[in-house]
Amino acid sequence: MSIIFLLLSVLSFAAAIVIKILFVPASEGIDITGAHVFFTVKLPIQDLPITESQVNSWCVMLGILFLCLFLTSGLKTRNVSVRQLLAEWIVEKTTNLVKTNMGEFFEGFAPFVAAVLGLSAFSSLSSLIGLFPPTSDINITAGWAILVFFLITYYKMKAGPWIYLKSFGQPVPLLAPLNIISEFATPVSMAFRHYGNVLSGSIISLLVAVGLSGLSKTIFSFLPGALADFPYLRIGIPAVLSLYFDLFSGGLQAFIFAMLTMLYISGGFPAEEYAARKKKREERKAARAAVMNANKRESA
Amino acid sequence: MQNLDIISINIWQVVISLANLVILFLILKKFLFEPVKKIKAQRENEIETQYKKADKARKEADDLKAGWEDKITTADQKADEIISEAVERANERNEIMLYESREKADQIIRKAKADIERDRREARETIKKEIVDVSQVISEQIIGREINMDDHRDLIDDAIDKLGETK
Repeated sequence: MSIIFLLLSVLSFAAAIVIKILFVPASEGIDITGAHVFFTVKLPIQDLPITESQVNSWCVMLGILFLCLFLTSGLKTRNVSVRQLLAEWIVEKTTNLVKTNMGEFFEGFAPFVAAVLGLSAFSSLSSLIGLFPPTSDINITAGWAILVFFLITYYKMKAGPWIYLKSFGQPVPLLAPLNIISEFATPVSMAFRHYGNVLSGSIISLLVAVGLSGLSKTIFSFLPGALADFPYLRIGIPAVLSLYFDLFSGGLQAFIFAMLTMLYISGGFPAEEYAARKKKREERKAARAAVMNANKRESA
Repeated sequence: MQNLDIISINIWQVVISLANLVILFLILKKFLFEPVKKIKAQRENEIETQYKKADKARKEADDLKAGWEDKITTADQKADEIISEAVERANERNEIMLYESREKADQIIRKAKADIERDRREARETIKKEIVDVSQVISEQIIGREINMDDHRDLIDDAIDKLGETK
């Protein structure tokens, strides 16, 4: 039963590969472009092109969904399987990460951080199986960064809009424009950092691969016939680069994005003001209740 | 179909990606975090009940142990009592038996003494009679005439008694 979920999880990645093979034309030589557009949907404001990055990120989501179902099927309280141990390990690790970085108040953020980590890491790692990594599309990372920006603003306003507005005038009101700019710079920098890292990785990989084939052509030109054209230097060497740019950089960027998400959200949250506001509200409530009780007693 | 430019912002794509993250958050929450947390809570519950059960069992065992220990000490006491009673009874019986046997021995001794006394007396009587007879014969021979037994019996008896006393 659980094997089916694992199979489906793998299948959803395989589907992305199949779609790419069927619909994306093979590129000749060096062409550094964005994602391939499958078709365009007419929408107001701007037409929506359904691209490789969209499809791949859906495939990744589907894969993660089935992976979750695989990990959590047949949970037991005793004689825990390795699968369940893995699921518990993931949950515990992310919860602890969130707790140590954001505090007890934000414990509910664990699934969100796990989602950011999972989506980002799997998207970047999908380049390992020859897919177009969705994270090298600015729209994808921008969407995440904007969501994080909303969350930051929401938690900053938790202690009241007035306190939020006042925070722009810190430490001197003269710096308000800079504060506003820095507020908007947060999501922009997050989006571009992630996008730029992954994209530059694939571009460098591509350039190195092309450069190596040119180099091998000049070095091995003395060989007769088709043997001279074979790119010997492309065997193995690009794999080392891929190890860094796809595996390490992909994982690292996912971690950085998740860390920044946690730090910005918890850092912008005015905990003391929020506590004071909560206390004041409760006091007011208690006072109102006391007054109502007194009125009732008088009327009685 | 052509490719997108390397940097091309599309609002709808951004919105879709934002929604994707939210959806994945919900997926992870619903299908990974909640089941795992539930199973963990269940396990903790189970462990708690197990601990409670174990505590209860231990308490029961302790109670049983205390009961048995009590019983063992009382049994020891009882055994001591029984032994001491038996010893006492045995002593009593011993004494009774000793007393009885002493009594019996005394009786035997007394009887023996009485027998001896009687025998002696009888013997004395016989001897006395013999002596009288003998002395009568001797004195008849010596004196040469018949002695009147009845006249002299008292005299002879007296002499014999004196003889016995001086002896």
